[in-house]
Parts: sequence; structure tokens; C-alpha cells
Amino acid sequence: MTGENEVVIRVVGLKKSFHVGTQDIPVLHGIDLEIHKGEFVLLVGPSGCGKSTLLHTIYGLENPTEGTVYIEEDDIWEKTKDWRANFRNRHIGFIPQQPFWIKSLTVIENIAIPGVIGGKTFSESIPLAAKLIELVGMGEWANHRPYDLSGGQQQRIALARSLLLDPKFIIADEPTGNLDIKAGETLMTLLRNISQQFGITIMMVTHNIDQYKFGSRIVNMVDGRVTSDAINQHSIEMMEQDVMDLKKKTETV
Amino acid sequence: MSFLKKSQKPKTAAEERHAADFRFSHMRLSTILFIGYRNMFSNRMRSVLTIGGVAIGIGIITLLISLGFGVQGMVIREVTKNNPSDIIDISNKSLESFALLDRQTIERIRKIEGIEQVEIRATIGGKFFNGDAQTDVVINAISRHYLDLARSDLDADIREKIFLEPRSILITPKLAVLLGFDNPDDSIGKTIEYTGVVTGDMLADVEEAPARSPEEIEAESRLTIVGVIRDQAKDDAVYAFMPIDEVRKRYGKVAGQFAKARVKDELSIESARLQIEQTAFVTESVIDTIADINSFFSIVRAILVVFGVIIMSISAMGMLNTLSISLLQRTKEVGILKALGTKRTDIFKMFIFEAFLISFFGGVLGLLFGYGSAKGINYGINLMASKYGVAASSFVEIPSMFVVLIAVFIFFLGLLTGIFPAVRASKIHALEALRYE
Repeated sequence: MTGENEVVIRVVGLKKSFHVGTQDIPVLHGIDLEIHKGEFVLLVGPSGCGKSTLLHTIYGLENPTEGTVYIEEDDIWEKTKDWRANFRNRHIGFIPQQPFWIKSLTVIENIAIPGVIGGKTFSESIPLAAKLIELVGMGEWANHRPYDLSGGQQQRIALARSLLLDPKFIIADEPTGNLDIKAGETLMTLLRNISQQFGITIMMVTHNIDQYKFGSRIVNMVDGRVTSDAINQHSIEMMEQDVMDLKKKTETV
Repeated sequence: MSFLKKSQKPKTAAEERHAADFRFSHMRLSTILFIGYRNMFSNRMRSVLTIGGVAIGIGIITLLISLGFGVQGMVIREVTKNNPSDIIDISNKSLESFALLDRQTIERIRKIEGIEQVEIRATIGGKFFNGDAQTDVVINAISRHYLDLARSDLDADIREKIFLEPRSILITPKLAVLLGFDNPDDSIGKTIEYTGVVTGDMLADVEEAPARSPEEIEAESRLTIVGVIRDQAKDDAVYAFMPIDEVRKRYGKVAGQFAKARVKDELSIESARLQIEQTAFVTESVIDTIADINSFFSIVRAILVVFGVIIMSISAMGMLNTLSISLLQRTKEVGILKALGTKRTDIFKMFIFEAFLISFFGGVLGLLFGYGSAKGINYGINLMASKYGVAASSFVEIPSMFVVLIAVFIFFLGLLTGIFPAVRASKIHALEALRYE
């Protein structure tokens, strides 16, 4: 498949159990999932249903007990740790539930970190970071320490950081979990716009029913299984409208 | 948007995989060092204390070593100043087997391979009289060449004076005092009376003293003090220097009890000494003294090394503690770095280079601090010495070998203290690190 319908992530028969004491506790019971290019997929479901585990397995941090994940054509769990690390760095933006920072670096230097990890210098990465910090509307905070910012501000910075190396994918693990409604909506709008504007495929875990409207596809999980998987037509229309507005805005500017 | 290279250039799957595996990009050393530096800077107090610990350790070692080498060098310099290392001192073993250095003996010694010059000294016991004052005295009867070999730090002008006028002598300050001169310099130009004891067995080559008139004998017993000389080794030495020719004029062919021989080079010194010793004499060379000094200082150094090891173990434990705490505090940082794609080797480097930074700064500061304090002590002591009229001298020295050793040591200190936290950090699982509380 090509274009918008191209399958970019394929989860095949994915099972995962955690070893606790002498027991194996199954968390994922065989997940099969195909994600298409440019989709904004929301993984929803009750706590403990395995959303985050699935996300981490796709992101290459949690190795599966059975089954595997293909990203584009690569079976990522066949590859080495360093290959996965390299792939994450180059092609996947990551927004964790709580934003984590290098404490000794400023906000803008933290945004530049993926570039530095990929072998660039700070002076090469910071101009890119400067553009992104403006994109998320946090320009005036560039030289502060990240932990001085509010939760919502930190998540916007985390979004900027995830975009630094022009990722093909964004993996977000409940990034709005610790935010108030307004901050959550701001972040979600940013994510949706970015997904539409740049064609980035986003997979995001959320608990918040109010945010369902932002996703182009809702995957519902219960007890380690996918129970429903639906295209969110309403959301797609909204997204298209947003993008039209954004384009108009950009043109007038 | 960027894409994987494979989407631009069609390749076989195997080729792609192979190429992808070898395209891993790593963090630059400069950015690793920058982050390490920032981390140290953001934990200023901790970094200052740890670097301070290393600096104090290295500083104390540097101070002790530079003083140790410096004092050793100074002692050797002082010892060799009046005793050049190409000179052999010849003397008698004991009174039982007393041998004189007469003309024949000297000729024999002169023929020994490597010997270039032999000059004798005769010591004669006697009494000096100055008015009511009288004292026992030892006269060192020497030639000008003997003084050359002794390379004594006698003022050349004073030295020459005893050879200008007949019956001139040089005396030590203590002798001047014993002769009733409260200020030794007052004795210069004064005439004193002298009786010497020269027994027959001090005369070699059985040459009778020339016949003299009673006036001549009277005149010969009067000596003129032409200079005061300070003995390097002993402040209260009581002796006089007098040209040996003068002594011989009076007593006949007086032979030497001591001699100094000069060798061509230091290499021939040992074989020359062996041959001289076969002729019933004992020999001494400043090389023996230097060897003794060196062996004494190597013991001192061994003790310093033990101290150094103890001090540096404490510093190293401090460093290890700091780095372990740094790892605990930065576990989440390691987690996010790994989640964002940092390779294990880069995480390893971040921690090991932080250890290197600490040991490097500590080492450089320690070297400067140690050397600076040693120089300060030197300066202070010289300042005090100048008040008491003692010549200033330098007793601080850092051998370049020691600096190299410290550099190697700093490297291993960083490596040994950094490797444990670095390995641990590189092995942390990203998700576990992010969940770490």
C-alpha cells in the first residue's frame, strides 16, 4: 500500500506477560493491529488493560513474550538494542506520561537533546529547537530550567522535543494524564494540527473520554485484548477543518 | 520530512538491514563532555567538595614529593659543591697500619689508570700563641693544587693570599676567637707565634731540613694571619691552612697523610678506587655520600607513597560515592535518554567522562596547589633565612616523570571510580529507570 493508506506499523500476535515472583501475569493476549500512515490513533481502555505495555512494545522499549511489531518493513524485535535505539532516535518522537528532563540543561537544550543523541552538536540542534519552541508557543521560556515550568508547559516542551528530528511517528503515553482540562485540550489540539500538517502518525494512550474527538481512530482495549477499533469520522472532519483554518491563517500571516 | 535512506535508494532487504545496523550515530565527545560539565556545574557544592577531595589528595602528594625531591637535590648540590664527584679522597685505614703518602706512593697512585692528578695534605699538630692566649691547633699543610682539587668555596682572593707572602696562614673563625680576637676579622694581619710537632715518622724521603740560623728559626715561628675562612661542615672547627712548602722549609720533607686524586671521568672512579685501596689506603668519594643520600630519600619516598596511597584511597572513595549518588539522582535522566534513543555506549561514556572530568580538574588543581604550597614554603623559609644572613636556596623540584605519573594516575582514578557507575548506568532498562523513585 502507498500514500495515506500505507500500513506503517503492524502488530502481529503480540503477547506479553510479566514475571512477578513465581507467577507469569499475562498483560497482552495476542494483539493484531495495523496502523496507517498519518493516523492519529487513540488507545483507550480501563487502567491495567495493557495500553501502555502495547505502546512501549511498539516503541521498542518493552520486549514482547510472543509475536512482534513491524515498523514499515522492519521487524523491530529481530533487531539489536542499538538498532532500536537508533530507530527511536531518528524516526519516533516520544512524549512520556510525565515529562523527564536533563536537569542541568535549559528548556531549549532539552528540546535539542534528540539531535545531540543523534550525533549533532548543541549549536547545530538549537536553531531547530528554537523553531519548535515557537511552534508550541513557549519561546519566552527557552532559557529556563524545565522543572520550573507548569505540567502543561512541560508537556508542550516535550512535544517540541519529540518533533526535533522530523519524526515519522509520535508515541505518546497519556501525555495529558497530569494536566488540567484546558492544558490537556491545548496539547491535544497541537498534536492534531501537527499530525495533519506534517502527516505524522501518532499513537497515543488516553483515559480521557473528552479527548476522543481529537483522534482519527479509537482503539479500545479491555484485559489485554482489542475490543473495538473504529475510525472517528467526526474527528477527521474536524481535523480537515482545522487544517483549512490553519492554512488560511498561515497565508494571511 | 526525512525518510530512511532505503526509501530513496532501492536495495535488497539484507543489504538494507546490514546498512541500517552500521549507520548508528553516536553522541559527540564534545557534547558528552558539555553535559558532564553542566551536570557538575548544576551540583556545584557536591562537585566542589569532590574535586576538592581529589585536589587535596594530589596536592599533598605533590607537596611532599616536590619537597622530597627538592631537598634531596639541594643536599646533593651542597655536598657536591665542595666535593666534586670526580675526586677521590685518600686516607689511612687506621693508626696501626699507618702509611704515608710519600713521593713514591704518590707516583704509584698517579700511574693508576684514570687518575689524572694527586695532591697531598699533611696535618700537623701544634700550638698557637697570641700574647696570653694560646690554643691547640691543627695545621693543614696544602699546596695550591690541593685547594684546586678541593674546589672549596674559599674566596679566590683570600686563598691566594697564603701563597703570596711567606709564613701566611688562613684560620677558622673559632680559632680566631680562641686566640683572643672577639671579632674574627680583627685577626687579619696579626702575627702569632707557633710551635709545631713534627715527628720523624711524618718525614718521608729522609731529607734533612736545611740548616738554619737561630734568627731564621725565630722568624719561622711567627705566622701572619691573612684571612679567615668558614668551614662548610662545622662552625666550631679549629684549624689553619698553610702552604706545604712553608712547612717543608721548616721541617724537611713532610709527607701527606691525606690526598685528593682527580679521575678523568666518573666511570673510571670505581676501578681507580679499588687499585688505591690495594695500597693500604682507604678511599672516599662523594659518590658514596650521594648514594647514601639517595637511598635515604628513597626510603622517605616509599613512606610518602604509602601516605599517598592512603590519602588517594580516601579521595577515590569520595569520588565513587559522588558518582554513585549522581547515578541515583540521574536515573530518570538515563531513562529518558535511553527512551529517546541514546545507545548504551554513549550512556557509559557520559558517566565515565564525568569521572574523568572530576579527576582531571582535581588532579590539575592538586598539582598547582601542591607545587604552589611547596614554592610558598620555600619562599617563606628563604625570607626567614635572609634575616639570619643565610643564603637562599631552592628546595622545591617536580621531576617531569612525577607529572607524567600523576597524569597516568589521574586517568586510572577516573577510570576505576567511573567504570562501576558507568556500567550500571549503561545497563539500566529505560522503562525501569523512568519508573524509578
